[in-house]
Amino acid sequence: MDEKQLVRLAQDGSQAAFEELVAKYQSKVFSMAMNFIRNREAADDAAQEVFLKAYLALPKFHLKSEFGTWLYRIAINHIKDVLRKRGRAKEVSLDDVRELSVADENAMEKAEAERETEARRGLVQGFVQGLPEKYRVILTLRDIQGLAYDEISRVLHLSPGTVDSRLHRARRMLRNKLGPCLSQEGGSHEM
Amino acid sequence: MKCKTAETWILRSLDGRLDERSRGLLAEHLKGCASCRKADAEYRSMMTLLREEREDAPLPRFWERLEPRLREEQKIVPLILWERWALHAIPVFAALVVLAAGLFIFTPQAREMSQSEALLIENANPFSETRSLFEGKRPEDKSMRLIFASLDEKPSVGRQSP
Repeated sequence: MDEKQLVRLAQDGSQAAFEELVAKYQSKVFSMAMNFIRNREAADDAAQEVFLKAYLALPKFHLKSEFGTWLYRIAINHIKDVLRKRGRAKEVSLDDVRELSVADENAMEKAEAERETEARRGLVQGFVQGLPEKYRVILTLRDIQGLAYDEISRVLHLSPGTVDSRLHRARRMLRNKLGPCLSQEGGSHEM
Repeated sequence: MKCKTAETWILRSLDGRLDERSRGLLAEHLKGCASCRKADAEYRSMMTLLREEREDAPLPRFWERLEPRLREEQKIVPLILWERWALHAIPVFAALVVLAAGLFIFTPQAREMSQSEALLIENANPFSETRSLFEGKRPEDKSMRLIFASLDEKPSVGRQSP
């Protein structure tokens, strides 16, 4: 059964159809919440709330966009609310980012010395969290969640040009912060 | 090619959004530019690290925990809607009461008609009682008329000058 049929059935009150939709998207919604909230229990709770909101708003969904896009939009808005309530949605200016990168040099040296994947992952997570929200959201959706450009554009109501420029800026900022750690990594050159 | 352009092309190439010709030009530039080669390598390892973050599983029994909440929410929604409606209805009701009171206070009230006005409306002569006095046939009315007439004819009694 295709997704549109499942959505229509769920709109008609079929719990089984909604369960299928939840099964399909639960990991995506959870990992998105996890990328922002960084706490398993809180991210799980946020994911549940997202599906709850989606279920209640289902009668208002007119299938004008993909269900996934619509769900991501709900998820992003809910996660922003959660972060705002937790006081973690503070925007960081570019100047702050540069200051942070200097301040975190010690942490990077430590990660270099340890050369452990987990430490690097923690470092990456920390730096992604330090990005201003608008860059963090784009970077998470594209480079972590793997959403296509046009999908991100629809989820965030942004023009493809804005998505492109914000994503490039986010990657530049992250590279500046991760620089010393990344140069140890190398990387294959495939184009 | 300038290094700034090369960096933009590197970023596009990470998403496979660089055409054949541009890829060739970028590869040419990278061969001769150590700093862009370094940037390219760093961006690629950064992408690898970011992709390691992908797809985390939620806590177990996700649906089993969600389903009762959905059922509970279905019960609550009509109550919430009613509460919201009531919350909106209270100020509307208060505004209506104030409006009605205002209308009552400021609308000019119909004042009670005087007896003569009432008689005029009824197309009756308001001086009928007086006329009946003058046209009266009763003896006391006649004597009353005579008293008034005598008063009119009486010369004014002033203080006599010395």
